[in-house]
Amino acid sequence: MDILHNAGMFFIILGLPFFLSGTVGLLRFPDIFTRLHALTKADNVGLGLIIFGLALQSDSWLMVARLFLIWLLVLIASSASCHLVARCAMQKKIQPWSRP
Amino acid sequence: MPEDTRIFNFCSFADLGRRMPLRFFLFSLVWFVLTGYDGAGWIIGFPAVLLAACLSLLLSPSPGISISLVGACRFIPFFLRQSTLSGIDVMRRALSPRPVINPGLVSYSTFLPEGAARVFFVNTISLLPGTLSADLHDNRVTVHTIDRDQPIWANMQNLELHIAVLLRVSSVKEKK
Repeated sequence: MDILHNAGMFFIILGLPFFLSGTVGLLRFPDIFTRLHALTKADNVGLGLIIFGLALQSDSWLMVARLFLIWLLVLIASSASCHLVARCAMQKKIQPWSRP
Repeated sequence: MPEDTRIFNFCSFADLGRRMPLRFFLFSLVWFVLTGYDGAGWIIGFPAVLLAACLSLLLSPSPGISISLVGACRFIPFFLRQSTLSGIDVMRRALSPRPVINPGLVSYSTFLPEGAARVFFVNTISLLPGTLSADLHDNRVTVHTIDRDQPIWANMQNLELHIAVLLRVSSVKEKK
């Protein structure tokens, strides 16, 4: 089981830079829409990798199912809320930033 | 076919009798997976599951979607690959010395029918590389793209076709 543990650790560490770049994007990108891009996409991949890593390390199938379900629920919640935030910004007539 | 715009759409009791048990079972499964074998948890879980099932019937009374197995086998790898690419894409743009972005809005008309298929489409757009669904009016989706140089149109069409196969949407229905 040591190989599984190490492989899990590998995927967890692989997931961290995605969270980091999501946050860096949130700070550096110019407007609400581009920031949404950074947050939703990068964090979903980061979470997916960490969940996969934890699933490799877990010792029961119920735990694997639970981790997978959490990932799925977060995926649904983040894409729906991303759409709602963007839609709200559109309705408030916030102009998207464009390259001058 | 006249479109029903009411949010709360009541269906007949016969339909209710068929759909309620299935949804109750699915929400119970979610609760069970999240909480495990703890029996006492069902004191909260049972009312929560019941409420969730009733609410889902009120908000979305339409018959459940039918998922094609072949479609799922094609969609899941496609989705995993695309969403990983989108994460890498954002990482590259955010971490480069000057953020490489060229954002803009694109309008796209979808052939997917109203309801589950269209909602699924709109939500999936936001998880694919460089696109984010910003608005939805009838069949027109406003897509915000982080890079106008990307082939947005082709990407949307590709996703649309994958979803049509996944949810068994026939294009014949559209032409009526």
